[in-house]
Amino acid sequence: MDTSIILQMVVSGAFMGLVYALIAYGFQLTFATSKSINFGQGELVMLSAFFSLTLLNLGLPYWLMVPGGLLFGAALGLVVERAGVRLALEQKSEGWILLTIILGLLGFSAAENIWGRDDRPFPTPISADALHVFGINITPLEISVAIGVFLVMGAVELFKRKTLMGKAFEAVSADRDAAELMGISATRTIMLSYGLSGMVAAMAGILISPITTVGPTMASALILKAFAVAVVAGLDSGFGVVLIGIFLGALESLTSFYLGSGWREAPGLVLLILALAVRPNGVFGKSTMRKV
Amino acid sequence: MLIVDNLHAGYGNSEVLMGASLQVKQGSVVALIGANGAGKTTTMRAISGMIRPTRGAVMLDGQPVQGHGAARIARLGLAHSPEGRKVFGPLSVEDNLLLGAFNHLPRFFGFRAKAEIELERVYELFPRLRERKGQAAGTLSGGEQQMLAIGRALMAKPKVILLDEPSMGLAPVIVQEVFNTIRRLKEAGITLLLVEQFAKSALEVADYAYVMEHGNIAVEGTPAELNQNQRVLAAYLG
Repeated sequence: MDTSIILQMVVSGAFMGLVYALIAYGFQLTFATSKSINFGQGELVMLSAFFSLTLLNLGLPYWLMVPGGLLFGAALGLVVERAGVRLALEQKSEGWILLTIILGLLGFSAAENIWGRDDRPFPTPISADALHVFGINITPLEISVAIGVFLVMGAVELFKRKTLMGKAFEAVSADRDAAELMGISATRTIMLSYGLSGMVAAMAGILISPITTVGPTMASALILKAFAVAVVAGLDSGFGVVLIGIFLGALESLTSFYLGSGWREAPGLVLLILALAVRPNGVFGKSTMRKV
Repeated sequence: MLIVDNLHAGYGNSEVLMGASLQVKQGSVVALIGANGAGKTTTMRAISGMIRPTRGAVMLDGQPVQGHGAARIARLGLAHSPEGRKVFGPLSVEDNLLLGAFNHLPRFFGFRAKAEIELERVYELFPRLRERKGQAAGTLSGGEQQMLAIGRALMAKPKVILLDEPSMGLAPVIVQEVFNTIRRLKEAGITLLLVEQFAKSALEVADYAYVMEHGNIAVEGTPAELNQNQRVLAAYLG
């Protein structure tokens, strides 16, 4: 067996895994403030990718399309918060689970009707011609995925640590009632987290689409894996999702190489089951102690 | 400064507060004492908007605030240091303090410099917090967390501070320290509504006091008057 092939598989898979990590990171953002996540996040990725593609087709240059796509994603995140999550949280119900799934299904139908069912290529100015590094092929496109993922996550982490608004974000996740007593509006902070989460999801769509193409079905494939990464890594470790994302991406690519591409989805699901059985708080998750 | 009139509130269908009324004059320390379950904490929560009163009025500096959310009431100048302290455990001591001043500070950058004077004041009052300013608040001892909770309330430069059970779960020596702090706040002219289990110590610092029983004010008066009241003496000060 050729080790360079294995290495090649691991590296290419790892880049895909970073995108799962980015989507999982979006889950963490909203979970932190509201203990809720958008189960339609995959559709949000897909819709933002389609919207960005439309911007490109309208003649907008790639680098202007990116902020446009991100804004669209943030706006969709706000819609999910207003139309789904807030309604449920106001009644202290878990209805957000069903509501966000329904909003996702609506988004799926909308995409099929507006953009059709076919997968479409997503043009990019970044080259897909391989560079040879230590005997493996890496494309600038793959490198751009890594740069994009770390830029977005880095920016959000900087925001959380260096700005007062970001600290308020952390305060709401630590103790919502106490944050309200400081004059911090939990509702607005949750809105902000959904906006950021939508933006992060849109970035994932823009980064991955040139590699995978854009189509309505990309949503379900992405969400399951992002979900697996989030559960395995825990819903509070940004560092964890990156590691687990890379691990899952690599594992997936090895599985589809050795067992056939039909088994591609298997590692994510197996990991998910294992994680739920063995460490429900995630490998990197703090074990939460409930104080009385 | 703070007027509570005929306040009713509760949780779900059970009414805990049944028409409590009290007043806190500017610059005074008012104690709210009573047995467990009498409704002291519920009174605090209904005043600060953590729960919505079902009936009655809360006037802050002449302005009705009942029915507003907690964040809005906080912006209007009321700082509630809740039961159990509720510091933000994962955040540093200094971040906790800065968040106390959230309403006065720029939301994004330059907030640290803007908060300098207030921070200095709190660090002077609680030198221990300065020593631990980089430490996660959750790693502080109970007494230190109480200092942080009071400091965080002061950072807001509020018109009134509600202080709920500051001595809860603390060693006797630390309780004494907490009461010394309250005395210093009083000397600094801070308006304070204090809920306490340690009725005796509370009456020593208070200008006026209310005794709660079954969701209502049963007795009120100056500490000297309450110390003469046989019923209060027997039930709370014995």
